[in-house]
Amino acid sequence: MSGTATQIAAKIADEPKVKLCALLLEDNRLDADLVLRALRRGGFDISSTLVQDEVSFTRALRPNPPEIVLADYNLPNWTGLDALNVLQREGFDIPVILVSGALGDVTAVECIKRGITDYVLKDGLARLPDVVRRALREKHERKLRHQVEQDLEKKMEELARSNADLEQFAYVASHDLQEPLRMVAAYTQLLAERYRGKLDADADKFIGYASEGALRMQVLIQDLLAFSRVGRNTAPSASVDCNSVMQEVLQTLASPIQESGAAVSADDLPSVWADRTQIVQLFQNLIGNAIKFRGTEPPAISVKSEKQDRQWRFTFRDNGIGIPAESLENIFVVFQRLHTRTEYPGNGIGLSICKKIVERSGGRIWVESQVGSGSAFKFTLPLKTADEHGRTKP
Amino acid sequence: MKSRLKLLLVDDNPADIGLALEALSGSAHHSEITSLENGTEALTFLNRGGKYADAAAPDLVILDLNLPGCNGLTILETMKTGPELRRIPVVMFSTSRLSRDIVRSYELGASCYVSKPGNLNDYLSAVKSIENFWCGFACLPPKGE
Amino acid sequence: MNSKEVDILLVDDSQDDVELTLHALRSENLANNVFVVHDGEEALDFIFCTGAFAQRSSEHPPKLILLDLKLPKVDGLQVLERVKSDERTRNICVVMMTSSREERDMASGYNLGANSYLQKPVDFSEFRKMVKVLGLYWLVINRPPLSNGVAHAAGQGK
Repeated sequence: MSGTATQIAAKIADEPKVKLCALLLEDNRLDADLVLRALRRGGFDISSTLVQDEVSFTRALRPNPPEIVLADYNLPNWTGLDALNVLQREGFDIPVILVSGALGDVTAVECIKRGITDYVLKDGLARLPDVVRRALREKHERKLRHQVEQDLEKKMEELARSNADLEQFAYVASHDLQEPLRMVAAYTQLLAERYRGKLDADADKFIGYASEGALRMQVLIQDLLAFSRVGRNTAPSASVDCNSVMQEVLQTLASPIQESGAAVSADDLPSVWADRTQIVQLFQNLIGNAIKFRGTEPPAISVKSEKQDRQWRFTFRDNGIGIPAESLENIFVVFQRLHTRTEYPGNGIGLSICKKIVERSGGRIWVESQVGSGSAFKFTLPLKTADEHGRTKP
Repeated sequence: MKSRLKLLLVDDNPADIGLALEALSGSAHHSEITSLENGTEALTFLNRGGKYADAAAPDLVILDLNLPGCNGLTILETMKTGPELRRIPVVMFSTSRLSRDIVRSYELGASCYVSKPGNLNDYLSAVKSIENFWCGFACLPPKGE
Repeated sequence: MNSKEVDILLVDDSQDDVELTLHALRSENLANNVFVVHDGEEALDFIFCTGAFAQRSSEHPPKLILLDLKLPKVDGLQVLERVKSDERTRNICVVMMTSSREERDMASGYNLGANSYLQKPVDFSEFRKMVKVLGLYWLVINRPPLSNGVAHAAGQGK
């Protein structure tokens, strides 16, 4: 042996041996011994079983499956590839190394395609330990990755369940809170009406505060209910014609539009893949806001759309009071309001509902605005059909 | 214009009964209102059982859904299958907005279904409308066969 | 007309009464979706989407039928009976609105399942007042069901 080879051999001899449990599929005893010797030289402490046919092969897989299979390609009644089939059928992920006489390149490639991890020629057994090491390492990495994926999946399930619980809770709470609240609101109001001026000034004031508080709570709960309903509905997505949605919204908002002298213009809008009721709510909230938060001029609102990749991007532009830069993000947060109740009415839930609807439909919503120059609310929605979405129809 | 009509109001929430009475207190129709908070008791009343042996049959029943004892739908069903009680119009008056409650009520023979509004003024107005329509405009079926 | 939603089906052969009714409904902003037929046969065709109305979709039954008793071809009580005995239509609100003062007719009406029964006042302004109250009551305060088991939302009130 050359100097380096001796050094390597010595090095390997000094290192601790790696235990390896191998299953050899070989009908020639001598060849089997050669393989085992090569592996021992390569630093493995091998324990092995030798089999020649399918039955013994299958039996050798249990109860302790081997870490690796070393198979001859050509056996009397069987091939190394058949061993692979057995493993796949029985659900084992064990690397199979073909140890063979001359294999044509074509056959070699075929084998690898079919799932053989690697192959080594019988007159090139010096390579075998490294090949085995690499196969074992890849298997280990595969296992780790699988574990990580499973953990992730479990975490996501837990998260989804937790979310569902929370939404259910929000819904039930707001729903059940309505009844007792209705009593408080109704009777404080009756108190206010019946006893106004009949008790003392303090009483009028106290009852007034209680009554206002109750009424505001009623609206808050209704808004919360509306918000949590967005997550609860089970209507399946379908193709929604946004032009017809605009018609419906303009009709619903006919009064505020007329009172404010608003001019609403819309492009020819596309169809999107979503829940129609929610899209109506989305459009209605955006246009309603544009009218509500108007400046000194009558509101001028434009609705445009353009196709971007696999989505439609909508822009709702207005000439209202605008939004300060520092508020552009948290404006979508539940109950965030930028103004006092006396300046502009409302609870601040409209935009968070919009955000929830858009995100549930697979889109994104944001706003570009400057104080005094109006706002442009933009959001994306998926394209019309399941086909366009890239899914295959069932 | 018309004679005093008898209203039976069945609701397990005394606060809501209070609101209904408040709504009807100034009414020109001067209806005679009997209110009961329990479903079983309401059926006894309608069937003139026990202490209600001398009770006169109501001209109109305003009926909540969720009641202790017998619930609203059962009372409705019982009324609409009884030879005498079936001709009495029944107005369902409930906080429930569930489709299944609304549809089931109509199926069992309710004349109409009114959802209790959450807002005080709307509530009072709804009760007044119920009385106004049924006592002031509708022709109620004659008593006896 | 095929899929247009009809709120009120008005069945009356008296043109005067029809006009008064429409006028009263209009003043309460309730006349947008009223469809008028003049006899019982037309009424049945409309409700069951047959004959002249075969193109009509049965998905949108009217929220309210205002039904006169004395009608040509098929009379009001027969229409009522057909509507109330058919699974698909028996939940539709039917209000008899008639000039008949016969108690017998009223008893029959209720027996056949009419939701309510009103006598048309002779006086014009009383008539109009009645239609207003009835429109508001049945379209705004009342919640009608839909025949496929889904209930309508309450009306334009709030």
